[in-house]
Amino acid sequence: MNIIYITLGLIAIYLYVSFVSLLWEGLDRKLVARMQRRIGPPILQPFYDFLKLLSKESIIPRDANKLFELAPVLALASSIALLAYTPLGFEPLLATKGDVIVFIYLLTLIAFIRVIGAVSSGSPYAQIGAQREIVMIASREVPMMLGLFAILWRLSKLGVEKPFSLGTFYQYNIWEIGTPATIVGTLILLVVFIFWLASEIEVGYFNIPEAETEVAEGPMAEYSGRHLALFKLSNALKEFASASLVVAIFFPWGLSGYLGISGIGALIIDLLFHTLKVFAVLFVSMSVFRAVTGRLKITQAVGMFWSRIIPMSLIGVILLAIDVLGGVIA
Amino acid sequence: MKIPPTLSVVLSNLLKKPATNPFPHTDPVPTPEGFRGKVVYHVDKCIGCKLCVTVCPAGVFEYVEEIKKVTLWLGRCVFCQQCVDVCPTNALEMSNEFLLATYDKYDDNLRWLKDEEIEELRAKQGGKT
Repeated sequence: MNIIYITLGLIAIYLYVSFVSLLWEGLDRKLVARMQRRIGPPILQPFYDFLKLLSKESIIPRDANKLFELAPVLALASSIALLAYTPLGFEPLLATKGDVIVFIYLLTLIAFIRVIGAVSSGSPYAQIGAQREIVMIASREVPMMLGLFAILWRLSKLGVEKPFSLGTFYQYNIWEIGTPATIVGTLILLVVFIFWLASEIEVGYFNIPEAETEVAEGPMAEYSGRHLALFKLSNALKEFASASLVVAIFFPWGLSGYLGISGIGALIIDLLFHTLKVFAVLFVSMSVFRAVTGRLKITQAVGMFWSRIIPMSLIGVILLAIDVLGGVIA
Repeated sequence: MKIPPTLSVVLSNLLKKPATNPFPHTDPVPTPEGFRGKVVYHVDKCIGCKLCVTVCPAGVFEYVEEIKKVTLWLGRCVFCQQCVDVCPTNALEMSNEFLLATYDKYDDNLRWLKDEEIEELRAKQGGKT
């Protein structure tokens, strides 16, 4: 693969995903409004918000340091870099052996940069939000990594070219193994990942770091103008990338194989179908979850992760491993 | 973990029509009988008894000695209707108008009996007597 093609592809993917993820924000707001019997904003509202924020004055607090202005740029940069490793209905652009670590690293890095920006703002509200964010990162990443690595390990047993790459989901998917233990295990892991997704994009139970009504937007308390716009965009990209991960693990089927299309057409069809699946996953994990549940306390959320979701993830992983390990023992 | 009881409500709401009134595109929600909107002042009925000046808790009325009338500035009105109830000649009444937003607090819409009208009345009365 030519490096120029990869660059062009990344730019195209970036433009497409920023459009689609902002579009989903609009759809989400509309759907939640309809769930509460309101009309809601127009579907293109996030675009208007984004443009408005870009045109507004950005206020830098007196106590802020250099990282305050740098953090939004770094957050957007790492979310764009994340797109190169995100499965979007086809293999990620830079899919290699073991790129799952890069994916997880970049995904966590975005949250980390948010925290660094918040801490640099010199506002106590942002500090509290940042503390909560760090505690949430520390609890939510464990079950996700456990599940993700177990699934990739199980798939690598089937003989793939690039083990531990997110591209392997398009070679074999986890449902194909087909034994009862793996199916039950995968269903359990699906629940784990739905909760992880909700906490990754901080909705419903896990809207703890931002908590508008409690700590005044938390990490985003001091951000305004174009800095806030960049953060909003990188959050939207991160939302899409996290949901893409869930879709790629559990629902990796493409349409192009059935329709018999190949080449560029196949990529586009698969990308559109993937987008639809991402919307469906986000509808469950974001819109419905956000409309139905309130916020947990930070202690409750951490307790939930360490006492419910990590054991759930462990059970799922053990069920996935039983076939392979049973073969070893017998 | 229990399924939240709001889930079924929320999902069935998705299929229902929004229960809102899209106001600038439609008429506002109709005002009820006895709605206390903007005060309307009939200058010709006024006999200058000053009861409204006495009873008003917000100091909306100002008595104009020379013509034996009152002037009103509704920027202060609290819509308590006491002036309407106390007026012996029904020179004051509450209307249904409630869209009173303005850019200028001394907007013409919020004042009754403006300075030039007072001058006019005084000229008329001066001519008569």
